[in-house]
Amino acid sequence: MIRLIRSELMKVRTTNVWLVFTIGVLLSAAIMAIIWINVGSSQIDEARIMFAVPEELSPKEKEEWIRTHDLGPILANTAAQIYTSGQFLGILFVMLLGAIVVTNEYHHQTATATFLATPKRTKVIVAKLITAISFAGFYWLVTTVFNGVLGILFFFSEGYDPQLGDWTVIRAVLMNGLAFGLWGILGVALGVLIRNQIGAVITGSVLYVVGSYAIILVYGLIYAFWIKKQWILSSMVIWPSMASQIMVSPEKVYPQSPDWWVGALVLVGYGIVFGTIGTMIARKRDVS
Amino acid sequence: MLDGQIVVSGLTKVYGEVRAVDDLSFTVQPGRVTGFLGPNGAGKTTTLRMILNLVTPTAGTATIGGRRYCDLREPLREVGAILEASSAHRGRTARNHLRVICAAAGFPLSRADEVLELTGLRSAAKRKFRGYSLGMRQRLGIAAAMLGDPRVLILDEPANGLDPEGIRWMRDLLRALASEGRTILVSSHLLSEMELLADDVVIIADGRLAGHGEVAGMVSGRAVGERVRVRTPHPEKLLAELGSEVTAQSDPSGLLMVTGISAPAVGAAALRAGVELHELVAERPDLEDVFLELTAGRAAIR
Repeated sequence: MIRLIRSELMKVRTTNVWLVFTIGVLLSAAIMAIIWINVGSSQIDEARIMFAVPEELSPKEKEEWIRTHDLGPILANTAAQIYTSGQFLGILFVMLLGAIVVTNEYHHQTATATFLATPKRTKVIVAKLITAISFAGFYWLVTTVFNGVLGILFFFSEGYDPQLGDWTVIRAVLMNGLAFGLWGILGVALGVLIRNQIGAVITGSVLYVVGSYAIILVYGLIYAFWIKKQWILSSMVIWPSMASQIMVSPEKVYPQSPDWWVGALVLVGYGIVFGTIGTMIARKRDVS
Repeated sequence: MLDGQIVVSGLTKVYGEVRAVDDLSFTVQPGRVTGFLGPNGAGKTTTLRMILNLVTPTAGTATIGGRRYCDLREPLREVGAILEASSAHRGRTARNHLRVICAAAGFPLSRADEVLELTGLRSAAKRKFRGYSLGMRQRLGIAAAMLGDPRVLILDEPANGLDPEGIRWMRDLLRALASEGRTILVSSHLLSEMELLADDVVIIADGRLAGHGEVAGMVSGRAVGERVRVRTPHPEKLLAELGSEVTAQSDPSGLLMVTGISAPAVGAAALRAGVELHELVAERPDLEDVFLELTAGRAAIR
């Protein structure tokens, strides 16, 4: 198994795909970090003015004011946003990489050589899953360190604590990592289901990028005109792109949204189901 | 490792309505080159892919040294294969392509350079696959097949795209490998090439076995028999001298195709009759005749 993973990692490293993707991931992380730093900075400034203790209050009222006007959650939210910048496109890249790891074998007709070296195909797919997860982990690490440095510099320059000890922030960063890994798995499964390289890339991108908007639209219409129940909106979580957003978002994505862990479970479920289906298909399918 | 005998038994593959391979059975012996022949679409590639576990048979089995390909512990050490679609990622160098396979099979990565040397590709090792000519790609395929120094080699149309020098190189290489006791199964539609290369042949048509045996035995043992080609300005005089024992076909240009008599006997008859000869050739049946006879009327398009 170790040697298979080595072989799969080598396959990715010996073409320029990973370089293109790394540049893409870092670029999107950088652009989004700058945007979030700007957004966060103005939010914090606004809040600081609004939260400033009014002079006319009595000492007791002042105490109450300070207690209810805590800048902490706003700082934590800003920190979580900055430290997970580039997530949206980063996850897209990871999913596409996962798909390409599989479709490349068919596109370049190397599946024959791969399955001749390893006739036990389950092992090959598992190695590809691990490869996709490894690259997801690598991209998560690189973007997190990159965003972390930018974010910490920002907080220090503004004179705030960088919020590294805050659970919401830590959770957002960890969930970001989980999202990267799970979408890597979904990407591999997508590649097995749609062998055509371009087909897999386009389907994956459309489902991911347009998916969540389309779902919100469709569910919004169902809610408005048909079934006016809160659970309709809550059930949007069954779609992978919504589940992913619900999982990684430090705040609720929308008022009826279930908790973050529901999103995590849904996405893990998709990873397991599609990973298994993909493996079973690859085992049976003729390579010609 | 077990001996490198390939045993195909009752192998069948059905695609929808089409029986691409139909109850095919044959064995391939080690130490010999076995040619695998058939018209286009006869099921050669499908059969080879079933032997290699790339295509799942509808019925039947194929074993190499007594085991199915998917049960081989170290498949690349036992079997090397070059299939028609042998390919590599276009953006990857030949050397890296081989190193990827080495890594998967657990061979030292240096093995890649050794096989590149063996196949004469060393100078192009760091060139990307997209820059490879068809002939170079075939050589790279052989390089990949030789990585594990296998006892059994299975090649699908390896001569495709090779120039005459390349074909000769391939023939010498395969003959040398067979003489080392390896099993060589090679499919081809180049019958003259197979006659030079193969010891045994397996001929299939319509997915079914049409013939199987030693090349020499198959060619000499056919009913086709020997034919003598004679060109003379006086065919009727020669035919009269030859008598009724022989059968002959003639055409207006004076060409006779005579069967049932040897070339020297025709020469002697011509001398007795005082007939001038312009051409006297003994035509032995070759693999092509055998092949066409065995596969006659079994159209490739099904």
